[in-house]
Amino acid sequence: MRVRTSLIWAAAAVIAGFFVLLGYFVDHQVINNLRLVLIRWAVLLAAVALFLGLFNLLSVHWSKVSEQVTGWPYSAVLILAFLVTLILGMVFGPDNQVSLGLFKYIQLPVEASLMALLTVSLAVAGFRLVSRRRDLFSLVFVGTALLVLLGTGPWLTGGESSFYILVGQVRNWLVQVWASGGARGIVLGVALGAVLTGLRILLAVDRPYGD
Amino acid sequence: MIGFDYLGIAVLLLFLGLLIGFAAFGHRWPMVLRSIRGFDELNTAIERAVEAGERVHLSLGTGSVIGSDSAPALAGLAMLSRVATATTMSDKPVVVTAGDGAMALLAQDTLRAAYERAKASERFQPISGRMLGPTPFSYVASLPILISTEGVSVHLLAGSFGAEGALAADFGEHQEAFVLAGTDDAQSQALLYATAEYPLIGEEVFAGGAYLKVGPFHLASLRTQDMVRVLIVALILIGTILSTLGVSL
Repeated sequence: MRVRTSLIWAAAAVIAGFFVLLGYFVDHQVINNLRLVLIRWAVLLAAVALFLGLFNLLSVHWSKVSEQVTGWPYSAVLILAFLVTLILGMVFGPDNQVSLGLFKYIQLPVEASLMALLTVSLAVAGFRLVSRRRDLFSLVFVGTALLVLLGTGPWLTGGESSFYILVGQVRNWLVQVWASGGARGIVLGVALGAVLTGLRILLAVDRPYGD
Repeated sequence: MIGFDYLGIAVLLLFLGLLIGFAAFGHRWPMVLRSIRGFDELNTAIERAVEAGERVHLSLGTGSVIGSDSAPALAGLAMLSRVATATTMSDKPVVVTAGDGAMALLAQDTLRAAYERAKASERFQPISGRMLGPTPFSYVASLPILISTEGVSVHLLAGSFGAEGALAADFGEHQEAFVLAGTDDAQSQALLYATAEYPLIGEEVFAGGAYLKVGPFHLASLRTQDMVRVLIVALILIGTILSTLGVSL
């Protein structure tokens, strides 16, 4: 019985995937409509999954609070913030000033702080890279990053000197020739990998929805 | 009136033919995988974590299942099936996090299947697959607490990341964990190269299944990728030569 159930999931995934893919290659009213219906179903299911994900988030942190495991006060803050946001959103609506204020004065500053932290982390990571992984590629990587930074940002001595212009030209050459060429190669490889990952799921070889 | 994209169909059939062909007959031509430092040392790191009673964490990134950025996370799920089997009997089995609810559900299903295969269904905990936060930075803001409180010593990132991926990798480095990180975005890969001890470059994130020996189709995928890549490079070179000679197609 278990095997049959998994076969049903696999068949549903394969058939849905086949028709969505077919819609990209065959221009026919029925197939296009079917593809759109399936995609809309997927969007609806993703919304339900988001709800389940939030429930999962709450249950994880609730169990941490109830079992008083290490770091449980953070979980308590999360549950409190979650419930306050949910209640305010349900009472006042998502477009109300109170709800928008939560995003404007709490979430946005916190996310902006993390972005700022990222710049510091990257600077430290650059030094760590040279000290820990001292090979040719790392040195080229850090050297290129420094050159691009120097060629992009303003200098205290101003932008009139011939050396500044030379660094700018080297930066442009690096970005337009080497970096864009390398990035295209990477994107090509990623695209091939993505296509084959999709095909494995379409053939039900990889079944992330369970065996 | 029915319109067909013949070129698209031909390319799709080429991919399918090569993939199925290599999966069926690939064993006749043994394949040597080039060394990728991260994958070479991953098994040892996992074994060490299991013996020390420490946690393996796999992050599936901040992409959604229905978005165009789902592919690396789906490749991460293929890796998860192997990693989960290796940690089934540990006191602290693998924990998987995602920024998308649907991806967290897929992680739970993959974990459940891995436990069933290992005949240890009773050890499966649904909260091992978690959604941490629905936005990229809310997701990454939750990681430091998870890494420190769960005692994570192997921190794997295989999914779609933007700039926040660098922070996600850096948090693992601060914990002195084994950090293996790969994503699909070229710019984020540059950030991961700087922050992660074992970065995955280019399409290496999609090769995880083959390196972890998930199945013959994963090896076949690598062969197909290489074959099609050679074909594309040849076409680019031919096009360049013809264009240089003034021949327009």
